[in-house]
Amino acid sequence: MKHKLHGETIHIATGGLDFDAAKPVIIFIHGSGQSHLTWVLQTRYFAHRGFAVLAPDFPGHGLSEGKPLTSIEAMADWIDGLLDSLGASTATLVGHSQGVLVALEAARRHPQRVAALGLIAGAMAIPVNDALIEMSQSAPAKAFRMMTSWGHGPGAHKFDNTQPGHAFLGYGRRVMAQNDDAALHADLVACDRYDAGAGAAASVTQPTLCLIAAKDKMTPAKFGQKMAASIQGAELRMFDRAGHFLPAEYPIEVNDALAAFLAR
Amino acid sequence: MSDDYKFDTLSLHAGHVPDAQHGSRAVPIHQTTSYVFRDSEHAAALYNMELGGHLYTRISNPTVAVLEQRVAALDGGVAATATASGMAALATAVMTICSSGDHIVASSRMYGANINLLENTLPRFGITTTFVAPDDLAAIEAAIQPNTKIIFGEVIGNPGLDVMDVAAVAQIGKRAHVPLMLDCTFNTPWLLKPITLGANIIIHSLTKWMGGHGIAIGGAVVDGGNFDWGKDDRFPTIAGPHYAMNEINFFEEFGPAAFTAKFRAEGMYNFGPSMSPTNAFHILQGLETLPLRMQKHMDNTAAMLEFLSGHDAVAWVKHPTLPDHPSHALVKTMLPKGAGSIIVFGLKGGRDAGKAFIEAVELSSHLANVGDAKTLVIHPASTTHSHISAEAMVEGGLSDDMIRLSVGLEDIADITADFEIGFRAAARVAAKAAE
Repeated sequence: MKHKLHGETIHIATGGLDFDAAKPVIIFIHGSGQSHLTWVLQTRYFAHRGFAVLAPDFPGHGLSEGKPLTSIEAMADWIDGLLDSLGASTATLVGHSQGVLVALEAARRHPQRVAALGLIAGAMAIPVNDALIEMSQSAPAKAFRMMTSWGHGPGAHKFDNTQPGHAFLGYGRRVMAQNDDAALHADLVACDRYDAGAGAAASVTQPTLCLIAAKDKMTPAKFGQKMAASIQGAELRMFDRAGHFLPAEYPIEVNDALAAFLAR
Repeated sequence: MSDDYKFDTLSLHAGHVPDAQHGSRAVPIHQTTSYVFRDSEHAAALYNMELGGHLYTRISNPTVAVLEQRVAALDGGVAATATASGMAALATAVMTICSSGDHIVASSRMYGANINLLENTLPRFGITTTFVAPDDLAAIEAAIQPNTKIIFGEVIGNPGLDVMDVAAVAQIGKRAHVPLMLDCTFNTPWLLKPITLGANIIIHSLTKWMGGHGIAIGGAVVDGGNFDWGKDDRFPTIAGPHYAMNEINFFEEFGPAAFTAKFRAEGMYNFGPSMSPTNAFHILQGLETLPLRMQKHMDNTAAMLEFLSGHDAVAWVKHPTLPDHPSHALVKTMLPKGAGSIIVFGLKGGRDAGKAFIEAVELSSHLANVGDAKTLVIHPASTTHSHISAEAMVEGGLSDDMIRLSVGLEDIADITADFEIGFRAAARVAAKAAE
């Protein structure tokens, strides 16, 4: 659906159903240089199982207008503002990669808004290599290629896919190319500069599920495990063969894990 | 793995990981019509496109999906869908994009069935085509109308061997916001991946070089994922509400794979042009050796060009790599590994000499296919292109004396020796006619 927020028209995937704030709300938060398309196999699934689903494109990403936000804190406030504008008093925040930082920061800044957290292929800090940050500005297509290669696990590199006929690598690069030219650079800088993750994790009191990919080269599993250990009562589920793009690589298992967590 | 696998590796591996239960190294043939659902929720999720998976082989099948993912990998697309034949791929791709009242700009120099579909069949459903020479860029651009939904051509034309400047035509399409759909049967992704030059949708007859063995009919449509279906309201059936699944919008839901989502959700459901699992298995066996075969095809083609060009019995020879071909300069940059293994030529003595040649050869096979591992010959004017009009023949650059040669993988000395047998028979006919 299209929605006006801070004067900009943004796109939000709602899983094919009209948003209804009276239902339990899940907001899926995408990662660096990504869009709502990270959540293709989650949005329709949860929308048709009783949840009000929101998978927004941050400004300058996917089908949303506007300039990319430049800090994790600003993204966390943007999520809070979005929920406010839609009349959603609370929501489960499910983040992927950079979206994990946003979810943690949103939980720290706006704890009353957060019912629970789902943290997928993330960590409390995501420092980014200087060369990649520079490449995201000077040669974005090369950066898309590198990140898509690094971001997928061994099965995805062999074009194993639950969606018949689909190709992770080609698809991932096209998704990144749809964004504003400045989107990836802004995201990577925001990730690199964010240093409040440990404090945010320590402050979390909401139920939390961490889904971690053992073959993750973007946010290595050991940092995800450390994050889970830092959050009071957090559950951890490790996916042995998955790469960073866990929601697309293992959608059935991710959805089952999230559904079981949300049912509790 | 931190970098993409290379072409030769993908030819062997893409699309398949041995399953955990049995560990089958070869791709299993899932010869089944249907699949047991985990539960009713799972069934509903598959029908509603909430998850990937298989529900009925008309829509998708695990063996066919391996082939689809392998073809998508080789072409560098975001997805591919396999079909019962190359013509099924083309017809369903057109139906996925076009509705009654829409228009196509197409090459006038293509395979006879491609021409027939566009010229004679689709107009009955309100879809019209303007044919233009594939090398006339100004004419292609001028032919685009407000209702034009596809620019269509063959990278290497069958059988005239005209070569389309893919990058230039893709730019025309981009300016006009019309997708470029290409029949890539003659080039295969080993010679050229047109998506890298801006083409948007790739059509293959997998029956030909991709399979290579001549034992299975099949086709594929590869989605480049590089066309913005939602830029304006030109493609309402892809970037607007669908009739089912609560008015799903394929562009919003599936982004770069919107075309494929529509192709499978409507084309495979409603037209049912499915490939059989066993045919997919056969074609996969062929794809494993595509790089090896294509190199040998190119080597033998170069040798045959030298043989034919210097032979007294031959009146003319046409191939895009020859210096007198109009696309010679383009081919050097766009197709550096070769311009396919089809050669067309005419014999001194014309049509009757050609007929005698085809009937006399003993190793080369006289049949309708191309791209087989075995050498094939045919007379297009009386066979593959016999159903198109005389005007279209002329426009397509087809002459009455043309012989189409599909160069195979036999020892080159055996192929040339076989041709000498044919040439002697042709010479006898020519001499008799001259008496």
